[in-house]
Amino acid sequence: MRDTLVAILEHHGYRVWSAPDGETAFSAAQEKDFDVLVMDIRMPGRDGVSVLEELGTPPPRVILMTAYGAEDRLRAAANAHVFAVLSKPFDMRRMLSLVAQASKDSK
Amino acid sequence: MTGSSTPRANSMTGKRVKRWPLRPLSAVILLVLAAVAVASCLITQNVVQDQERLILREQTAEVAAVVGSSFAGAQSSLQLLGQIASSDNRHPKLFAAAARAVTTASTQGWLVTTQSGTSLRVTAAAGNGPVVGQALSSALGQLAHRAMSAKGLVSGLVQEGRTLRLAFALGGAAGAGTVVWQETVISPTTPTPTGPTSPWHSLNVAIYLSNHPDPSALVVTTTKDLPLAGIQYPFRVGADAWLIVASSPQSLVGSLGQDMPWIVLGFGAVTAVLMTAVLETLGRRRDYASALVEERTASLRSAIAEREAAQTSLSRQENMAAIGQLAATVGHELRNPLAVVMNVLYLMKVGSKAAADDPIHRHLATAEREISAATLIVSDLLDYAAGRGPILAPVEVCDLVDEALSVAPPPDGVQVVQRCEPLVVDADRDQIRQALLNLITNAYDAMPGGGVLTVSTTSGPGSAQITVTDTGMGMDEKTRDSIFTPFFTKKARGIGLGLAVTKRVVEAHGGTIAVQSRPSAGTSFTLNLPVLAAMASAPR
Repeated sequence: MRDTLVAILEHHGYRVWSAPDGETAFSAAQEKDFDVLVMDIRMPGRDGVSVLEELGTPPPRVILMTAYGAEDRLRAAANAHVFAVLSKPFDMRRMLSLVAQASKDSK
Repeated sequence: MTGSSTPRANSMTGKRVKRWPLRPLSAVILLVLAAVAVASCLITQNVVQDQERLILREQTAEVAAVVGSSFAGAQSSLQLLGQIASSDNRHPKLFAAAARAVTTASTQGWLVTTQSGTSLRVTAAAGNGPVVGQALSSALGQLAHRAMSAKGLVSGLVQEGRTLRLAFALGGAAGAGTVVWQETVISPTTPTPTGPTSPWHSLNVAIYLSNHPDPSALVVTTTKDLPLAGIQYPFRVGADAWLIVASSPQSLVGSLGQDMPWIVLGFGAVTAVLMTAVLETLGRRRDYASALVEERTASLRSAIAEREAAQTSLSRQENMAAIGQLAATVGHELRNPLAVVMNVLYLMKVGSKAAADDPIHRHLATAEREISAATLIVSDLLDYAAGRGPILAPVEVCDLVDEALSVAPPPDGVQVVQRCEPLVVDADRDQIRQALLNLITNAYDAMPGGGVLTVSTTSGPGSAQITVTDTGMGMDEKTRDSIFTPFFTKKARGIGLGLAVTKRVVEAHGGTIAVQSRPSAGTSFTLNLPVLAAMASAPR
């Protein structure tokens, strides 16, 4: 998933940095200044919502992805900083338009 | 108590009107006992009448005996007077003295007649009647001839002017050619008073000097009501046949005897009624008890059946829950690989250097389509497995229909007709939209050759109706009965959860779903959702 998403985003001209698990993603997000964060809710080690909560303000634009049901979506929605939540599998055009919108807003 | 029905309650309903007041067995017993009572009454009546007749006959015989003996006394008096007259012809005073001694009434007269040549002359006389030397009347003459030829006393009624006499004559008592007479003036039609001392006691009696009740032969009667209907008792006085007719003005067997038939009848009737009442009561009790037993048995059976159904339903629900959980897990786990495959397909498409008419593009499109179909299946599974309760909020029904139609626009050849009545229901927007979406996509699938889809909303009292009608292939009865069963499908694609989800959603809203369909005549689904009164008039 990660590899294909990276490939698609790079194909569309974004500079992409990827992390294999939640902990790495959290560290990277603290160290670097990303325009947009695209994250699975469920990741090895640490889930996306808790990463988001700990990042604090001001956060980057965050797009969460989930393969799970309403419960995860509600948890994500409870966090006001989420830019969008996408259910897997999603239409790539929608993902691209969300990323484009989010990166434009952050500038 | 609500809903329970006892036999008593049943019998209070219309059934009772039609019911016979008695059970057939009780009715038969009542009739039989009544017949026995009537028969007993008649038999008793007969016995009492026989007894009455017997007593009357006995009393009449007694009267006859008394009357007969008094006449026998008259015969011996005449015999004696004859001897006195023959022995002492020259002393008629002795005869007169003897006659006076046996006279019992002033209307009585005694005489002796003697034949001289062809005529009869009175040779001695005493009391009321002819005098010595007088010739006898022709009527008496005939009687005298009979007396002389007969053995014993003869009797006859002699009318002379207005006077009627009863005459007893004894031939030859005072020597050859003589007749000794006793004559009494009588008035037979004047009733003789009866009393305790009279020979006939309290009977009505008529005595005839004849062997039949001839009015002209009447000698004595105690009543004016003649002829008497009663016992006829013939008896003899000397050479002649007499007749007593007797009846009793009151019962001879006593009032108890007289009333006995009616007592028997009354007793029989009371017995019959009591017996019937007892039988009827016992019968009804038995009926009531058996009805009660039947009812209890039935309710027990239905309770057992309900329990079994509940257990079946419970275990089915448990099964479904387990299946649902499994489906949810599988569905979620499938989403990741599906998402990856979709991404890869996208990458291949955008990264492909192949020419636009290269078959690879067609293959990629097919793969994308199939992934979409798989995604839909997973969504259905998850919808079904999720099964969460509705989160209610006021929703405009027409908006929901619009949304569903915009998510699933009609394929080519299908025309959509929308009849929307502004209507607000209290519903879970997502769930009802999903339910409508399922019905609409089913309708599209049922019209592969095109047709008309009609979606209409109407409001009824306390409810809103959404009807989705297609002009497609329709379905037979067997299919119609199974469409709401999970995993039932007749489509090449899909796993048969759409209508199961729809039904569950509608029922979770307190509504109902109904289907009307005939093969090749289209199908119509009607959702009935309850409307809260406050919601029905809520502004949009």
